[in-house]
Amino acid sequence: MIGLLLDVATTAAILFVVAAGLLITFGVLKIINFAHGGFLTVGGYAALVVTQAGGSPWLAAPAAFVAGVVLGAAVERVIVRPLYSRPLDAILATWGLGIVIVQLITLAFGRGTNFVPSPVSGAVAAFGTDYSAWRLIMLVVAVLLAAALAALLQGTRLGLEARAVIMNEELAQGLGIDSTRVRFVTFALGAGLAAFAGALITPLLSVDPLMGVPWLLNAFMLVLVSGTSLASLGLASLLLGGAQVVISTYGNPVLGALSIVVLAAVLLRIRPAGFARG
Amino acid sequence: MSAALDIDGVTAGYGESMVLRDVRLSVAPGEVVAVLGKNGMGKTTLLKTVMGFLPARAGRVRIAGADVTGTPPHRRAARAVAYGPQDRAIFQELTVGENLRLALPRGVRDMQAGIERLAAFFPFLASRQRQRAGTLSGGEQKMLIMARALLTRPRLLLIDEITEGLQPSVITRLGEVVRAERAASGIAVLLVEQNVGFALSVADRYAVLARGEIADEGPADADAAARVAAHLSV
Ligand SMILES: Nc1ncnc2c1ncn2[C@@H]1O[C@H](COP(=O)(O)OP(=O)(O)OP(=O)(O)O)[C@@H](O)[C@H]1O
Ligand SMILES: [Mg+2]
Repeated sequence: MIGLLLDVATTAAILFVVAAGLLITFGVLKIINFAHGGFLTVGGYAALVVTQAGGSPWLAAPAAFVAGVVLGAAVERVIVRPLYSRPLDAILATWGLGIVIVQLITLAFGRGTNFVPSPVSGAVAAFGTDYSAWRLIMLVVAVLLAAALAALLQGTRLGLEARAVIMNEELAQGLGIDSTRVRFVTFALGAGLAAFAGALITPLLSVDPLMGVPWLLNAFMLVLVSGTSLASLGLASLLLGGAQVVISTYGNPVLGALSIVVLAAVLLRIRPAGFARG
Repeated sequence: MSAALDIDGVTAGYGESMVLRDVRLSVAPGEVVAVLGKNGMGKTTLLKTVMGFLPARAGRVRIAGADVTGTPPHRRAARAVAYGPQDRAIFQELTVGENLRLALPRGVRDMQAGIERLAAFFPFLASRQRQRAGTLSGGEQKMLIMARALLTRPRLLLIDEITEGLQPSVITRLGEVVRAERAASGIAVLLVEQNVGFALSVADRYAVLARGEIADEGPADADAAARVAAHLSV
């Protein structure tokens, strides 16, 4: 039972980390970034490269974050920004970019499956049971990340500007806020978070060119039911991620893998605002 | 000295239809100019074009002598221009304090002096900075729009139908603060209004906008009200 609860908590944690970047990008830029799965895959390969080059596995996620930020900054500047006035085209462009990223990674690394060593191994005693040490670390990282994002949004000038742009971009511009800059920083941060998440999951899952696809799908559905609120995203990750764990454990893993998408779709049908207020 | 605002033969509109045609209007430093006109005559469109939310299809917009035609809104705001829009003019979900803070230029943190200055007119500003702006009364929201616009002592204030739906006592207070700020810092104001009495009581000059053109303009003197009324009744 404790094991199941820890599975729910850690699954929710990783879902939150993967979807957080997609959510802030959606809030500020008003587009769903379909290259998010591609950025996540880049993070997985960044972890692979770092560890194969002899770097400490602890460096994998920070290095992936930096790589994601740099890549995201370039993508925003070159691909997304020219399409600001055509959001539908911008969304299609990110879709195409996701495909291109997968192809480039396949060219560079091949189709094969790779494994990245874990910074810690085995299980530790926690809450009266033996549990995967890395999953527990992920849980702590997710909580710290949520706190850092909340502090950034609530406690800094950039966060205030980002919230203003999310709520009413034109009003923000009229007050002197350079919303192009806010969009740029947000997109780069969102890409960094995707890559960070991609590296964070490598000790649990293998690295291959298509590793981002299921995560993109789940993150997309989580953002649809959460709107632009990080708190709603936390709740959605916990409930839908929890359902996934329960269905996989007591039902069957194939159904489990589909559960977030199916439940989110049903929820949106019943309550279009999802977990968001309103 | 160049005009605080110079609208020089501006044509603008939405899609194919031009709402403003060859509009010429300028505001001297320290001058208050009222733009009057019936519903749908293009008053809001004029302010949006001055701020850069709509492109000028012809003509130039100059702010304190600098040609800003074609520059984005945040660059114009950075030239000490404050804009109080007619619709959706406050962030309902943010606090009073956050709404005010957003008007500060980057790098400026302290707004205490500005709040104290404006709290002399709108006392709730000082005591209710942590309240969500959406929970303010309609009149308080308008006072917040005015306070946010004046917080940083702009050189040019563009304000769109601030008195819409307000009780007379609040309108009086808004008039007082505009007069006081003008006396203290020589701010130039382009005041879009439907309340002719209020507009003429604070303005030095008026202009009537009718079907996208300036139909009449003149000093806000004793006969102004009658001349404006003649234009608004047709
Ligand atoms: N976003 C828009 N798209 C298309 N047409 C618009 C848009 N906004 C305004 N218009 C049209 O432009 C004309 C001028 O509108 P504008 O809002 O500038 O008038 P106004 O003088 O501010 O009116 P009011 O006193 O009601 O605020 C109107 O005919 C209006 O229907
Ligand atoms: Mg209007």
